[in-house]
Amino acid sequence: MNAFGHLRGLRAGRIFLWLAVVFVLCFGLMVALVVIDQQRVVEASSRLQDQTVPEIIRYQRLARNLEQLRQEGERVFAASTPQARQQAMFVVTLVASHPSVLEHREAAEAARQTERFLADVIRRSLNDERVFVASFEEWQRLSARLGILVDDVSIQGINLASKDLGDVSATMKLARIKLIAALFVVGVFLIIFMVLLRAHLIHPLQRIDRALSGLSVEQPPPAFEPSSMVEIQAVEEAIGELHASLVQNEEARLALESLANKDGLTGLMNRRHFMLTADAELQRAQRYRRPVTVGMADLDHFKNLNDTYGHAAGDTVLRAFAALMQETMRQSDLVCRYGGEEFAFVFPESGLEEATRLAERFRATCADHDIRLPDGRMVRVTLSIGLADASACALEVALKHADEALYDAKRQGRNRVVTAGELRAETGR
Amino acid sequence: MRRFLLFFAVLFSAALSAETPALRVALGSHDVLPPRVESLHGASRSGSLAEFNEELAREICRRLKVRCVVSSMPFAEILPGVEAQRYDLGFGNYLRTPEREKRVAFSDPILRSSSRLIGSRESIRRFASREGQDVAIERLRRARLSVVGATQQEAYLNSVATAQELTVSATKTMSEAFALLREGKVDFALLPVLSAYTLLSAEPDGGLEFVGPGVTQFGLGGTVHLIMPRDDDGLRKAVNEAIAGLRADGTYHRIVRRFFPLSSLD
Repeated sequence: MNAFGHLRGLRAGRIFLWLAVVFVLCFGLMVALVVIDQQRVVEASSRLQDQTVPEIIRYQRLARNLEQLRQEGERVFAASTPQARQQAMFVVTLVASHPSVLEHREAAEAARQTERFLADVIRRSLNDERVFVASFEEWQRLSARLGILVDDVSIQGINLASKDLGDVSATMKLARIKLIAALFVVGVFLIIFMVLLRAHLIHPLQRIDRALSGLSVEQPPPAFEPSSMVEIQAVEEAIGELHASLVQNEEARLALESLANKDGLTGLMNRRHFMLTADAELQRAQRYRRPVTVGMADLDHFKNLNDTYGHAAGDTVLRAFAALMQETMRQSDLVCRYGGEEFAFVFPESGLEEATRLAERFRATCADHDIRLPDGRMVRVTLSIGLADASACALEVALKHADEALYDAKRQGRNRVVTAGELRAETGR
Repeated sequence: MRRFLLFFAVLFSAALSAETPALRVALGSHDVLPPRVESLHGASRSGSLAEFNEELAREICRRLKVRCVVSSMPFAEILPGVEAQRYDLGFGNYLRTPEREKRVAFSDPILRSSSRLIGSRESIRRFASREGQDVAIERLRRARLSVVGATQQEAYLNSVATAQELTVSATKTMSEAFALLREGKVDFALLPVLSAYTLLSAEPDGGLEFVGPGVTQFGLGGTVHLIMPRDDDGLRKAVNEAIAGLRADGTYHRIVRRFFPLSSLD
């Protein structure tokens, strides 16, 4: 990473483009060099095929013709009949006038000399057979010269082949070295490419992946090391923004939730939320067979208060009452504004007895509490509370019982706590 | 069973009636004279260069899987015949020249030839003593020569006839050129060596012989080809393939051996 520090802030696309261009140039150069060698090999082989090999064949054929010339000459001397001699002489003539011999200056000269010598000997032999013995020594010299020429010619042909083949194999070796170099370049580029890819793309992507999977409003925004790639930086910044908007959304959600769940005036739970929460509480208590009590409360003569002091005073009273209620009640108790001046409670883990004690304490606190109205006057309000056991019935049923108890409390003269059991006892009476 | 036989009879007659493609081959007239003496070369010499050519032609036809329709004619008629597409293949041991290439197509080379003078011993001696040195074509003066018509040899002699005061008699065939020589009507004949060799080897001993060096310059030597009508690339390729094939499997060399005391004429 540090080795490529100077690449910081460059676009990944551009870097890879540059890399690709350099690679293509290097590789192209190598390929061009190899192609040149290849061309050289092709040329050399086609030269070998079109020129050298025919040339070699020509040399070999010439050598063979000269050797045949020599042998036929020997036959002229060895033949026992003039006819056989003439026959050998014909071949000498044929070979000596063949283009393959004629085109080689030295060979043509030697062949011509041989032919002339033999023709002369044969001509003279018609008169005197002894001429063969007399000329044999000279023939041997001639024959030896022909033999040497045969060797020279075939060696020339062989040399021709080895020179061309040497050229081809040298070029091939060079081409192989260049090919290996080209492969090496490809390898080096691939390694560089992989390293860059790893350092600048794969690792940042892995970091981003980790950051994304751990992204949450409870965690602080993920911190990234500064990346060398603009694209990666952009993604990392986007993750930061994503985190910020997650937090914002969470805040908005909480705000909306409280708006939806709370009573606007008193800040207590609203009825809808209370019903959900209380229901859950009841179900929990019933599942674990725990005592639970619900209650309904109503401010006494609240209509008169409204009529006397005005609605603003009524609201102030309600707010003060709610605040008092939250102060007095236990943390775990659920309290809600049920409607108008009516409130509902759930006392978890409390039987009727304990709930009655709690409700009584609250009723007493409330009755002693002065509420300052906006105009400075002080009022006291009392409230009536009805309680009902909820450990064995549905919330609605329990609330209905509590409401009946509340109604009973009102009827009995207000500012008191009545439990549904008493009510039932009374009605049973 | 009868039906079966009938089926085969029909099949057989159909196969017979099918037309086999034929290749019309033009050959130089047979130059072989009725043998007056025992052949000099015994078994290895069985005919003229024309026979060698015919053998080669039949081998090429066999490889092209066609029937050979062989016609013999004087050398001078072969090239016009091929040019007019009366023949598909001409065997005249044609040297390749630009003028000929305008008229016909050439195959790959089949052999290489040179030209050489042939004379009687008497005329050789006469000219050698007159000029004070060996007889050579370019030094020949005031000589009578026979040559086969429409050949490169004739073309060359005509081109130097005035300068060297030569009297040139063109004949239709090589045998006629030889006949003029034997009758003493000409001093020398200028002929391609291989063709002349087959004729010469049939001559009575001591009559005629090659004189002077073999010549490949002046257009008198070089590679020898078959000729074909122009614009028939398919035929040319097939013929070249056949030539390459018979060279590669040794057939060519065996044919050469049957006619010449050499295995290769290249």
